[in-house]
Amino acid sequence: MILLPCPWCGPRDADEFGYAGEIRPRPDPSTTTPAEWRGYLYLRRNTAGWTRERWFHRMGCRRYLVLERDTTNNDVRPSTDASSGSGS
Amino acid sequence: MPETTPVIHGPVAPAPPVGVLAGWAVSRRRSGAALTLSDHSLLAKAAVKAPWQGALADVLAVPFAGTLRRTAASTELLLTQPGPGEWLVLAPPGEQTALVTWLERCAADVDELVSVLDVTHGLCLVRLTGAAAPDLLAKECALDLSERRCPDRTALRTAVSRVAADIIRDDRDGNRSYLLACERSSGQYLFDSLLDAGAEYGVEVTGFEPPGVTEQTARAD
Repeated sequence: MILLPCPWCGPRDADEFGYAGEIRPRPDPSTTTPAEWRGYLYLRRNTAGWTRERWFHRMGCRRYLVLERDTTNNDVRPSTDASSGSGS
Repeated sequence: MPETTPVIHGPVAPAPPVGVLAGWAVSRRRSGAALTLSDHSLLAKAAVKAPWQGALADVLAVPFAGTLRRTAASTELLLTQPGPGEWLVLAPPGEQTALVTWLERCAADVDELVSVLDVTHGLCLVRLTGAAAPDLLAKECALDLSERRCPDRTALRTAVSRVAADIIRDDRDGNRSYLLACERSSGQYLFDSLLDAGAEYGVEVTGFEPPGVTEQTARAD
């Protein structure tokens, strides 16, 4: 079982969460090119190692949170609520 | 032509014998088992959403992941906050209009975005009572329900039998007791799942005893 540290609920089973994807800088829609926008929407870095990800605690606090996870062994660093600004 | 009175059917099929209470079809079965499961869906229920540290949170005065009993609208309420900025408020059967009116009056006094919704018919609510209740729940959810981590008057949300459910620890007369609330459509499944998991502990179905939300259970019938 993988435990994810929710800043509201504490450590919870990963089954309670929905994966909302890795966090990437969002390009400015008014100046970006279609290729850049497409890359932001659909292309993933798929890093082997530490990544910053957004998760949704759908069976708990129903909040988005940001955490860092090592994709090679599922080690997880403490998370923050996405609305705190650190996840944007 | 004989007159008929409409009867409300809850999300869980009542175990026979069946009677009517506050317009709801309820089980009249009375079990003396050490571990019992009963359908409490007929309790009036309201869902409130508001900023979790806002003015309405101060009015409701329920700590996050906790519960509070208070008397309002001439009835005793059980207020819970299982999620940040999300409250589930319970009142005795038939009191949903008074409950929602009271909550809307509270919301009218604050200058923030608030939603108040009567979910009496939208949620299933069951009560599991007995010393073995945490052992039964340990089979169905991945939370530590020990006294240290989940004392009386704790409210939290997690997956029970893979269904998102609020777990509210609400001890009765010194006995371990949990209220579990989930979406109505999953209610019968959750009820049956708890019965199945509790077979080894001798769980039995017992009928609802009013009023259901006060400190001491009134002995009716």
